Order: sequence, then structure tokens, then C-alpha cells
Amino acid sequence: MKRVLTFSLAAFLGALMIVVPAEAKKTVLTDFDKRDWMVIAPQDSDAPLRDYAILYDAGGVDGALGVIGIPSMRTYRHIKCGVDLHNFPFSGSNAGNNNGTPDGKYLYVSDKGSDTIAEVNLQTGWAERVFALPKPFGIHHSAALAPNGKYLFATGELTGKMLKLRLSDGATTVLDIPPAPSAPDYPDTSKDGKYVFSGNYYHSAVMVFSQDPFKLIKEIPVGKNPHGTNVSPTNRIVSTCDKLSATLSIIDVEKLKVHKVIPVGAGPLHNQFDTLGKYDYISCFVSDSTSKVDMQRFQLVDEFPVHYRPGHNAIAPDNAYYSSQNKFSTGLFTPTGIVFAVNFELQDLDETSATYGKSVKLIPVDGEPHEGRMIFASYIQRWNTGKGEDLFSKGYDLGDVHISFDDGPGLNSKQRPQLEPVHTANSSRVWIPRDDSKPGITQDGDVKVIHIKGFSYGYVPRFIHVNQGDKVRMILTNIDKAAGLTKNPDVTMGIAVAGYYGQRTMLIGVRGMSAQGEFVADKAGEFEFYCQHFCGPLHLEMRGTFFVDPKGGEKASLGVGDYDDMSMQADHLAASEHEFIVGTNKLMNTLNEGKEPTI
Amino acid sequence: MIKRHLLIACLLAIGLVFTASNAKTADAGVLGNGSAITDTLQIGEITSLGDRQVTIKTAFEKTSKTYKLDLLAECYVMTAKRADFKKFTELKKGDLIAAYGWHKDGKWNARRIDILDRDDYLVKRLAADAKAGAFYKHER
Repeated sequence: MKRVLTFSLAAFLGALMIVVPAEAKKTVLTDFDKRDWMVIAPQDSDAPLRDYAILYDAGGVDGALGVIGIPSMRTYRHIKCGVDLHNFPFSGSNAGNNNGTPDGKYLYVSDKGSDTIAEVNLQTGWAERVFALPKPFGIHHSAALAPNGKYLFATGELTGKMLKLRLSDGATTVLDIPPAPSAPDYPDTSKDGKYVFSGNYYHSAVMVFSQDPFKLIKEIPVGKNPHGTNVSPTNRIVSTCDKLSATLSIIDVEKLKVHKVIPVGAGPLHNQFDTLGKYDYISCFVSDSTSKVDMQRFQLVDEFPVHYRPGHNAIAPDNAYYSSQNKFSTGLFTPTGIVFAVNFELQDLDETSATYGKSVKLIPVDGEPHEGRMIFASYIQRWNTGKGEDLFSKGYDLGDVHISFDDGPGLNSKQRPQLEPVHTANSSRVWIPRDDSKPGITQDGDVKVIHIKGFSYGYVPRFIHVNQGDKVRMILTNIDKAAGLTKNPDVTMGIAVAGYYGQRTMLIGVRGMSAQGEFVADKAGEFEFYCQHFCGPLHLEMRGTFFVDPKGGEKASLGVGDYDDMSMQADHLAASEHEFIVGTNKLMNTLNEGKEPTI
Repeated sequence: MIKRHLLIACLLAIGLVFTASNAKTADAGVLGNGSAITDTLQIGEITSLGDRQVTIKTAFEKTSKTYKLDLLAECYVMTAKRADFKKFTELKKGDLIAAYGWHKDGKWNARRIDILDRDDYLVKRLAADAKAGAFYKHER
């Protein structure tokens, strides 16, 4: 009996030893752990770590979207979209802050290089459609989504135009914004469906449009060269970054006039509201900092240093982190070639945290990233667990709300395309020894040689004329000086001829040698060229015009050129993918204005 | 004569008061005056629940206001931290929520409901500020 008891006790203790350590392995999360990415709750997957949010960033000259985990800051992948990507909203609604109220289906990214907008399916992770905008348009940012998620508002920075686009079919209405020079810049929509706001850096004003009917209402004078313009989640104010005035102009949405001007630091470029509209975070390019403004007190309350030269920025959907998307990284990383890595810097916004205001991660990033927006990872479904067919055909649920791909505004199709738009095809590019010849055009046999010098902030020559059919050799030489007034590093200058010639140019001018590209000027028209590699506060203003005069002696202009042909985007996608191009000039001004409700 | 002057003076005074009060009304605006029905974000505690309808009492303001919010068909409910999507029936009285939407045709249409975490730093900040007299939506 005794032996039995002893054996039972030993067996019980043995079992306990097995069970207790197994129990001890379970992680119980504390409130502190919840914000610490190294401590995770037990989960049903075999992944050792999952990020709670995803930062999508429009990768500029990469022609691709970056997909980065938050808060790990690991780059998961890149999604090919076009030539020079700038800005995007998530599909769903613009309700909330800049991250909006996503439905997890799409994002719409503007492509300055090809003058298009690409629709990316977040669930498959591929581009699905390309909106071919009516040429000439010259898109820069396209960030503004209507509250009902059915319309986009885009700015034609390079031609002084604005556009309203219906996402279901690409139909558009285009407005001219005189007087020239006019550069509609970063737009945002009011959350109640009434207005569209957009900075215009040549006018030093914020323009106000009604969403439906789409028309200009007024211009509100603000500080010098406004850039990032955002509507607060409460819809009570618009804040715009006055690049050259070092201020933030606060516009009263009800009265449509400036309510207050707040000094925020040198070179403010972009701003991000938190989800409750309490704070606004401003990237200050020249002062290398993130400025934090209390939007109840209208006061600058804090400033965090960054490494350095911040441009765009993004805020986590739970307001815990802020990503400063820095344009320069001199001295930070191992050299990897002609184009240096820029960097993203994650800052802790939690005022109760020991690392509040500190940079907690810094990663090298390729391309020249522009807008970043974050989304909770829980919006992205698991497509690789045998549920793919259901997700395709039936959609998915967010709580008790069903999300389906059949209810628009994307493709109502069981096919989900995997588009890979051409990035820099149909061109020849080489680096050559530094070209010190005079700026201008020379003839070399049957080739027109354009010697163009790029510097902070402009080009010589600024206006270039060639004839349709000419073989063109463009030689870009960066004549900038390092370590100028704004202590910039060795700046890379670029040249991209927007629109049809975008993917044929995209030359990268580093100091000490020249970049040469060759192409045939087969389409006539007037094309703005611009610097696609960020070079300083007036980078956007670094522009010129490339005229391809048509055969027959007429001079190219915004009204004279092969714009209808170019609007077909024939070279942008493979011929087999052309069915996924929507829009084009054929649908210009086809919206039923006044009957297209935005909420 | 004096009576006439007095009468004119009285009329002028009344006119002046009327003009001043009108001018004040015209200049009042939304900013600095607490929440308004036209705001596209309302923060408050749920006081009652109906059929995809919630009534909230606004928080962190000088004087709480009551708003009835109608959830649009596409309006989802989630936790503000980590976006755990919830069913409408999981909302409870006393929950502190942020509602995003817009006022139209006499209704406040909610497009998204976030259930706020009272331990979140930003919520704590709004509470602390209100306690100190810096009220939410009373911009200065």
C-alpha cells in the first residue's frame, strides 16, 4: 500500500513538473507589455513575431510601395506600381485623421513620373488598375478621398489643374487654376463632404474647392510656399505647413479664413494629426526636427530631433508611434552605390513611456519615399491558409460589417490582376565623365544633345525645344555645391520629364559625373520636367519645360500635342494588361456634376 | 423736447445692443465653443444603445452635450488599440468611444466607432487637461 502511495505521489509530482513549466511558458501581458513589441501574447500561428500595424510608403523613384512593419520597422516587401510615386489614401472613407477609415481593400497612389494613379489591392498585395489621367495633367499628390470613398481629388502641380475622379470608372472633371504660375500641391478633403483644400506654392495660398459640384470657391492667403495641408479629424481646422515662413497656418473651416499662425521650426513640410485631433506633428526639414503642436491650445509644445532632413511623416493608427521619413542619411549607413539610402526613424509618442520623444528605431530605406500612411495589420486577411477562394468570392468581415470586392469601387471581377507597371523601360541610361560643356543644345550627327545643369534649386536651360521624331540625348550634370547654407550633404539631383517621357528619363545626377539618357521624342507636346531626387526645401520648385514641337511647324503647348494618344498609357503596361487601364481623355469631364454626392 | 431726445437715445441704445449681439453671434463660430453637431469626430461615453444607434454624452468638454449617432451600414466597431473588430452588440453603456462620421439630413451618421482605452496616454492627457481647465474642443 505504502509503495502504491509513494508511486502515486512520485507520479503526481512528476506530472506537476511537466505541467508547471509548460504553464510557466505562457505569456501573460501586462499593460506595459502591450506597447512593447518584443512581448507577445500566445498566438495560433508559427510566426515568432507579428507587427500590429503596417506602414505603406510611396517609394518615389523606386516606382514601388514599401511595406514596413510597425513597430519592428522591418521591410516586408515592395509592390511595383509605376515610375515616381508620391501620395495615397486608403480606400474606405476619409473619416478620421490622415490614415482615414480604411476598409482594407485598396490604396490609390499618385505617380508623378507617368501622370497616373495606381490602384493597389491591399489583400493581394499587387497593383490591379491604372487610372490614366487626362493629359496634360501633371499629377503630384492624389491624397484626397471623398468621405463616401467613391471619388478622389488630385492636384495637377505641373500644369496648374485640379481633378475629381470617379473611382468606379475613372471618369473625371478637370479644373484650370489660374493665374499662372500655379502649382496646386498637397490636397486634403473636408470630412463632411463639403470642401477640398490644397496648397498652391506659387500663390502662397490654400485653395478651397467644393467637392460637389467641383469648383474653386476661394483662395486663402497663408505663409510663404505652403506644402502639407491636412484637415483635422474634427473637421474644425485645416493646418498647412508654410515651408518658407517656418509657420503652421491654422484655417478655420467654418469661416474659411486663417484663425492663427503658429511658429513651428524651420522648413515645415508635412503634418499629421493624431486620431483625436489633440496634437499635430510637423516635419521640419531645415531644423531637423518633429514639432508637436497642441491643437487645443494652438501652441508648439515639444520638438524631437531627427536624423535628419525629414520630409513626409506618418502616425501609427493607435497614436503610439510616429515615423519621420528622412530625406538624407549622410554618415549613417554603409555606402551602397550612387544613390544613398534615406532613412525612416520611429519615434515614441506615448507621453507615459520612458522613451517618449526618443527615436526607438532607424532603418535605411531605398528609393526616395514620399507619403506614408499606417493601417492596423488586422485589416489584412490571411490569404495563404486555404481561405483564398472564399476571400476572393465572398469577401471578409470587420466585426459585423461585411467587406466585399463586388461592391466597388474597384474591379467587380473574380479575376484579381497582378500588374507590374513598367518602371524605367524603353530608355538607355549611362553614367559618363562629368560634362563641363556649356548648357544648351548641340547636334551630334542625327542626335540632339541637351546639356543640362542641375543645381539647388533649378536647371539651365529651363526651356528645351526639340522636334517630333528627334533622337534626343539628355546629359544631366549636377553642379551643386555640398554643404551649402542648409548644411545639406552631397545632394543628388535628378531629372524626370513628367508623363509620357517619365519612364524614359529619370536620370540621376550625382556630383563628379554626368548622367546620360537617350530616347526618341516621338510624341509631341509640352512636358514639365522636375527633380525626382529630394534636394532641399525648394526641391518642388525645381522645374523646367520640355517642348516637343509637332511636325508641320506648329509649336507645342498645353493645347497642342499628342495628348489623346499619350493618355492611353500604351507603354505603361504590357499590351495584355491594357484592359486594366481606365480613364484616359475619352472620359474627360464626364462626371455628372452637382449630382455626384460625396457623402 | 427732452422726451424726444430720450426716446431717440433709447432707440439708439437698443439698436446698438441688438447690433452688438448680432455681431457676436456672427463672429462666434465653432472654434473655442465646445463640440458641435457639425463636428466629424465626437468623443463621449455611451449612455444608451438602440438598433445600430448609440447615444453619447461628450467627454472632456466644459459642458457635456448629448448626441444620438446612427451607424451607417458600413460603420464598423473596433478597439482603438490594435483594432480588434467587434460586433455592434458588444458595445456597452459606459464605454468611452470616438465616433467618426458626419452630420447630414438631421442625422449624425457614424462611419467608424473606436472603443477608447481609458489608460491610453492621449485619453489620459485629454482628461488631465480638462481637469486643469483646458477643455477639449475649446480651442484657444
